[in-house]
Amino acid sequence: MPTVLVDGQEIELAAGEKLNGIQVAARAGVEIPHYCWHPGLTVVASCRMCLVETGTRNAETGAITMLPKLSPACQTPATNNSVFVTGSAKVIQARAMVEEDLLIDHPIDCPICDKAGECLLQDYHFQHGQAERRADLRPFTRRRREMGDTVTLFVDRCVMCTRCVRFTREISGASELMVINRGSHEEIDVFPGYPLANKLSGNVVDLCPVGALGDKDFLYQQRVWFMKKHPGICTGCSTGCSITVEENQDHVYRLKPRTNMHVNEWWMCDEGRYGYHHVHHENRLTEPWVKSARGPAPSAESRDKKVPDTFSKVEWSALLDAMDSRLRKTQRLAAILSPHLTVEEAYLLAKYCRSIDGNAWIAMGHVPMFGEDQVFAKGFTVRAEKCPNRRGVEEVVAHFMGRVPKWEDALAAIESGEVQAAWFSGGYKKSDWNDENVAARCQGLATLIVQDMFRSPLYDQADYQLPGAAFAEREGSYVNCKDRLHSVVWAVRPPVGVRTEASLYWQLLGMPGMYRSRRVLDEIAGEILYFNAAGGPIPPTGVDLKVNLLAGASA
Amino acid sequence: MATDLPSLMQNVVAPLVKIVLLIGGLMTAAAYFVLLERWMAAWVQDRRGPNRVGIPLTRIKLLGLGQPLADGIKFITKEEYTPAHVDKPIYILAPIVILAAALAIFAVIPFGSVLPPIPGIPGLDKEPIPLLVAPGLDPSLVFVFALSSIAVFPVILGGWASNNKYSFLGGLRSSAQLIAYEIPLGLGILGVALVSGSIRLDKVIVDQAASGVWNAFLQPLGLLVFVVAAFAEAARLPFDLPEAEQELIGGYHTEYAGLKLLLFLVAEFLHMITAAFLIVILFFGGWHLWGLTGFSEESISWAQALLRIAVLSAKVFLVILFFMMVRWSWPRFRFDQLMALAWKVLLPLGLVNLVVVAVMVEYGGTLKSQFGGGVYWIFAISGWLALIAAWVVAALVSPSHDDNTPRRAAQKFDTEAEFYRTF
Amino acid sequence: MQPNDPQVKWIEEPKLGLAGKMYLPLFVQGLAVTTRHLFSPKVTVSFPEQRPQIGNPLIYRGVHRLNKDEQGRVKCVACFLCATACPAHCIDIIGVESPWPDREKYPQSFSIDELRCIFCGMCEEACPVDAIELTSLFDLTGRSREEMIFDKEKLLSVYDQTKDAEPMKSTACGGTVT
Ligand code: SF4
Ligand code: SF4
Ligand code: SF4
Ligand code: FES
Repeated sequence: MPTVLVDGQEIELAAGEKLNGIQVAARAGVEIPHYCWHPGLTVVASCRMCLVETGTRNAETGAITMLPKLSPACQTPATNNSVFVTGSAKVIQARAMVEEDLLIDHPIDCPICDKAGECLLQDYHFQHGQAERRADLRPFTRRRREMGDTVTLFVDRCVMCTRCVRFTREISGASELMVINRGSHEEIDVFPGYPLANKLSGNVVDLCPVGALGDKDFLYQQRVWFMKKHPGICTGCSTGCSITVEENQDHVYRLKPRTNMHVNEWWMCDEGRYGYHHVHHENRLTEPWVKSARGPAPSAESRDKKVPDTFSKVEWSALLDAMDSRLRKTQRLAAILSPHLTVEEAYLLAKYCRSIDGNAWIAMGHVPMFGEDQVFAKGFTVRAEKCPNRRGVEEVVAHFMGRVPKWEDALAAIESGEVQAAWFSGGYKKSDWNDENVAARCQGLATLIVQDMFRSPLYDQADYQLPGAAFAEREGSYVNCKDRLHSVVWAVRPPVGVRTEASLYWQLLGMPGMYRSRRVLDEIAGEILYFNAAGGPIPPTGVDLKVNLLAGASA
Repeated sequence: MATDLPSLMQNVVAPLVKIVLLIGGLMTAAAYFVLLERWMAAWVQDRRGPNRVGIPLTRIKLLGLGQPLADGIKFITKEEYTPAHVDKPIYILAPIVILAAALAIFAVIPFGSVLPPIPGIPGLDKEPIPLLVAPGLDPSLVFVFALSSIAVFPVILGGWASNNKYSFLGGLRSSAQLIAYEIPLGLGILGVALVSGSIRLDKVIVDQAASGVWNAFLQPLGLLVFVVAAFAEAARLPFDLPEAEQELIGGYHTEYAGLKLLLFLVAEFLHMITAAFLIVILFFGGWHLWGLTGFSEESISWAQALLRIAVLSAKVFLVILFFMMVRWSWPRFRFDQLMALAWKVLLPLGLVNLVVVAVMVEYGGTLKSQFGGGVYWIFAISGWLALIAAWVVAALVSPSHDDNTPRRAAQKFDTEAEFYRTF
Repeated sequence: MQPNDPQVKWIEEPKLGLAGKMYLPLFVQGLAVTTRHLFSPKVTVSFPEQRPQIGNPLIYRGVHRLNKDEQGRVKCVACFLCATACPAHCIDIIGVESPWPDREKYPQSFSIDELRCIFCGMCEEACPVDAIELTSLFDLTGRSREEMIFDKEKLLSVYDQTKDAEPMKSTACGGTVT
């Protein structure tokens, strides 16, 4: 097995593993500072921050021969008997020199730079730079250049690592960014008339090791050290990218990709990245309403005017009891499970309806589809299916119904009068999942319950209008289109007055204490074969249910 | 019970009038003593103290004399907050009991000498009217004692009912303290009782007035023991451990608010006033002042009666001033020191005093026939000698001086782990 | 650390003499001190009638102000460093792009909850452009909690009110970082 020597430590590589010096050192617990290298991009070895001493060990004699000059660790492959020395005086001096060079022209405007706090230049200078500045202090210039709708460039802050340029060439494939001029006049720019406009553009901001590329959505919003980071799952499409939800005082400020080699590697698409604004949208529903008397369907205006005899605001506690007893008086129930629900929520709602009516209809909610799947150069895919959990909900529905009735089937059953009471779950980012037509088809229901974040025709007509939670407020598991299950916990609390679906179902089922997703997931894993693999610990990168299912079946 | 008018006046109306006067006077006094206490506290700390509140709705400040009224209104209008976790009946009972007991003591404490008979009022026109609510009570010292021991219960009950560990600690501490100091207190009183041959407070005063020699001169050791014990019983600094704010937040009344807290606080002040009265009556001749007040209770003029009240009040006032000065002069004792002081110092000293007094009383008759009035000089000198000797011995033995320096020699550890295990 | 470590310095409690054990010196000292102070002159300032003298207004820590630059614009660049340094978490800033060409960022809103503030002066220490300063205004009162949350306008007006009596502490730094 190939063995590499890092600062005297022997590191064993698996056969056929291709690592460079930085990766192998990381395995030895040694961090080699680097700007231009990124594991997802090609190597250019231009920043020289990763310079280390390299050499080889003679396999027979054990004698070590070092190269006389320093070499970039990012470009030096770790092969059998490679030797890396990362902490020698020479290396330390080289790093200090690189830092000094980078700072000659770098504006010292950290107080107003959005990157401050997560800036590699700051961090590396603190660790490896020298305390004293020898270059003149000049008033810094401030040039800002628009790269596109999402990204802006603070030209003077750039350290010319070209990560962003390589990203647009290699990953997004649109090659909008380029380097203009030469030598110390090098700058990043776009071609005139061709701005940075691809669906992955936001990633260049994450890639930029300094504050040169700024995310316009996040610009000046918060200092990064104020934000708490919560691991989450993007609910924008059924790829289900691993993300980090960054939040301060229950306000989400940005979403960032979280490395998950099984799903999204290091990236996420712009749609998901900027798709959190609905969480704090002013139109979000925040209080439960009950139709007092069954009359003609109220118009939107009548609800706005809060006409007292048709709709009244209620306390959750009173509402749950009333709703429960009313449902128990109904003959046939239907639960429409939205693909935005977590697996746990879908299961709890189905279980609740079945506990009232043993033959209750459990159906799949509307699955939003927009356009075509879009596949990028290295395989990153943005899916047309704009919901995170179709697979998971499908399996829950199949468990209860033995088949998977679709949204259309459910509507047909409602229209035919087979069902007297229906509970629609929502969670859709936009309220366009139902229209007047759908509302008209549900006209005949004796009891209509709709829980959603925004108003829609169906919602306006419901007897119980319940405000619902957004993705960052939910706790539970999602199964992506490739049958990979991820579990997340909530990042922010729902707005005052809103209760998450899960806590509502939990209480309706009379379960003790507060909602705990893990307990429900254990139950599901025990009951539904498909979720068998979720019975164990769920790593942050998720578990593959299909592979484990096959393995379980063959065992 | 006699139902004719004179005895009705004598047994019902007159005591009621006295009770009303006494309670009114005491409550007002307590309120103004609070103001005085705050003034003293401020002056000792180079501040000015409350000096703003005067006549309401005017700009007249009157040096802040309106403050007690404002404080009272504030206390009464405050939310009567009762924490949810308390034991309600006991919680409510505690402050009532403590105030009732504190007030009841004044039934037997004379607040003057006597008033001359008032002609024209049946029942009161023949004999002088004693300024004492329950004049006929012979064992009045025992009564005082009994009631002052009752003060322990509300303190423990309050601490217990509050259901708060700090309150409870405060209650426990104070029960130990009050019980411990009851004994030196009793020993101090016993000496006086021996000398006057009576346990009636008014009789104690008359005795001292008749001889013109206050007990303080004859038995200074008894005075010392009694004063220290009285401080402890009133839970005043340096013995205010029951409510040591720095350690226990507020001790047993931490959880109290509004009127109930007020009852506790007033009772505390009443304890101090009681202690001051007892000190004055037992050791400083009560209403007697040489050459001014006379000593007979049989025939008395109005002027003399009022003078005696004034003298008594003045003496009490001075003692209370002393109480307040002490509060800012010395730090609080540690609890073990407090207990050692009671059991190892004051108790023996009290016994010594008792023996000395007993000897004096035993041989007093014979000596008096030999030396006449000069006998008091002999008594006084032996009393003072006893004081000095006892004090010096107590200091030499120093039972309350506890060496708490870390002992270097005792701490030899082979390993660090062993060292840390000792904590 | 062992108890016999040479770095451990052992301090002995002083031995009490006979007088000390008799509690006499303490008794006398205590009473003497309190009696002396009972009659010594009082230091309290009778506030509304008598204004206190503030020794050096430049180092006094009273109400905050937001300084203005030469053009009368708020000097603050909305860097949030004061909010970061504030131990009481009482500074709330919303930073946006500035309308001026020579400045990148400025506070759209800037509020300090003066009731939560502990007047430690950390914000003043932290500010890279000397935009926030504590003045010597001490008589800070209000009738409601909301009133005590000082917004940008109010903080700027404190500057106008105090700028003559208390010049900006550091005028060297021009006002903008650009
Ligand atoms: S803008 Fe950022 S990522 Fe692009 S070259 Fe400059 S420093 Fe590197
Ligand atoms: S003075 Fe201190 S507490 Fe007040 S705002 Fe400044 S940093 Fe915060
Ligand atoms: S530290 Fe100064 S510049 Fe930064 S936000 Fe606070 S007041 Fe503004
Ligand atoms: S990281 Fe190796 S040269 Fe830039």
